Amino acid sequence: MKQDDFDAIEVNGTKTKLGLFPAVVNDPTAENILDSRVDVYFFGIENDSFIKPSEHENLTLTGNQVIVDEELKKEGYEIGDLFGVTGKDVKYEIVGFSSKTTYQTAPVVFMSLDTWQTYRYGSENTPDLYSGVVVKGEINNLPSNLLEYTTEDYISTLPGYTAQVLTFSVMIIFLIIITAFVLGIFIYVLTIQKTSMFGVMKAQGISNGYIGASVIVQTFLLVAFGIIIGLVLTTLSGIFLADIIPLAVNAIFYLVITVAFFLFALFGGLFSVNAVLKIDPLKAIGG
Amino acid sequence: MKRLIEMTNVTKDFLQGDNVIRALKETNFIAYEGELIGIIGPSGSGKSTFLTILGGLQKPTTGKVLLNGKPFSELEIKEKSKIRLKNIGFILQSSNLIPFLTIKEQMVLYNKITKTKVNQEWMDELFLKLDVGKLKDKYPNGLSGGERQRCAIAKALYHQPSVIFADEPTASLDTNRAYEVVKLLAKETKEQKKATIMVTHDERMLEFCDKVYVIVDGVLSERKSEKAS
Repeated sequence: MKQDDFDAIEVNGTKTKLGLFPAVVNDPTAENILDSRVDVYFFGIENDSFIKPSEHENLTLTGNQVIVDEELKKEGYEIGDLFGVTGKDVKYEIVGFSSKTTYQTAPVVFMSLDTWQTYRYGSENTPDLYSGVVVKGEINNLPSNLLEYTTEDYISTLPGYTAQVLTFSVMIIFLIIITAFVLGIFIYVLTIQKTSMFGVMKAQGISNGYIGASVIVQTFLLVAFGIIIGLVLTTLSGIFLADIIPLAVNAIFYLVITVAFFLFALFGGLFSVNAVLKIDPLKAIGG
Repeated sequence: MKRLIEMTNVTKDFLQGDNVIRALKETNFIAYEGELIGIIGPSGSGKSTFLTILGGLQKPTTGKVLLNGKPFSELEIKEKSKIRLKNIGFILQSSNLIPFLTIKEQMVLYNKITKTKVNQEWMDELFLKLDVGKLKDKYPNGLSGGERQRCAIAKALYHQPSVIFADEPTASLDTNRAYEVVKLLAKETKEQKKATIMVTHDERMLEFCDKVYVIVDGVLSERKSEKAS
């Protein structure tokens, strides 16, 4: 994109230029530079841009100064360190770390737009070009040669994103449905196994209502304990496997799963109660 | 003596295909307080039908059952269940204990259901009498056959029912344990002024009974008991 394009976009809000390019960075001080390579995304931004990490909004990026995602801390980088770029004779200095700034799961390296353009197009006769414009607010006028995306739409255009998310979503949904079914059947079988005992209890005069209510309450407690243990284990897995598996806690998703599990278990419990009501105490005591 | 449970002109018919089978012919029966009554008879003779009609688990085709002098067999299922819970104790062949409750919890369950206070004094007395105090915190699966039946008797007596039904209470026990259990049952029946009706195949146990009835082909008739002879 050129400056003319930028100027032609009329917005009710703010707009900022963004340069975007993938890179592979390395640690020039490492014993084996090849082993120190990390895939990143270079984001060229204006110094007053609203997409600059909020924790460094007062920091002015000059020359080869960069703000990097804290993922790079795991590679041993600290503030003041320099890193190189594979295939280029250039070094960048880390002046700050940002959190939760990844693009296509790769850490983002924020740099000034000039620095990005030099990296992208070379230092001689560097053109004033960039990848796109990010708008905060509404677009009133967009030149016909440009395309407009909402954040969600743009994310879905990322290579492989939609296919990956769809595949995982279908897997997760089926897993939840199967688990909920198994849970319901498990509760039913667990209750039916006690048929003779319920028969004896009924022969002794314990009412259907008491036995049915006990089955439902115990089902509720069993599922509640199971869900609590499941959530604790998920959280612990998230903490201990955070370096390997990115885990986002989505409260609504957890809530939906919890409600689904409760419903299916109670459904199984209700089927069980129906079976309990039909138990003939006469048969239970061998009459 | 007070009549605790009685049957008047009771019969029970079952349909088998198009045929009506009379499983229990016209039966009259009375159990007084303090009586241990033995019921014997071959398999399929109608013992269980007799016991389950008496316990309100089946309705008689004709006739009626009175419990503590009040009509019992004609009541609705729900009413009968309530009365059974309070007035009848069951001791079954495989014991009437709930596997996942300790012996003490089995007793307390009655209080929970009926929303009554735990009678700790009576519970301790029962534990002492039946020598199951050291078993009170154990689960039925951790007990021997004899211990289980002693605990089942304790449970059957805990809510102080007027009538106890014991269906083959010694079936899973060796001779010594069987004698021990029936002796205990006889003793408690006398001391607590209950009526205990015990169905058994083991004629050796009849020596502790005050009366013995024989059922053959649905006909109940009294036999002079071993004890009386």
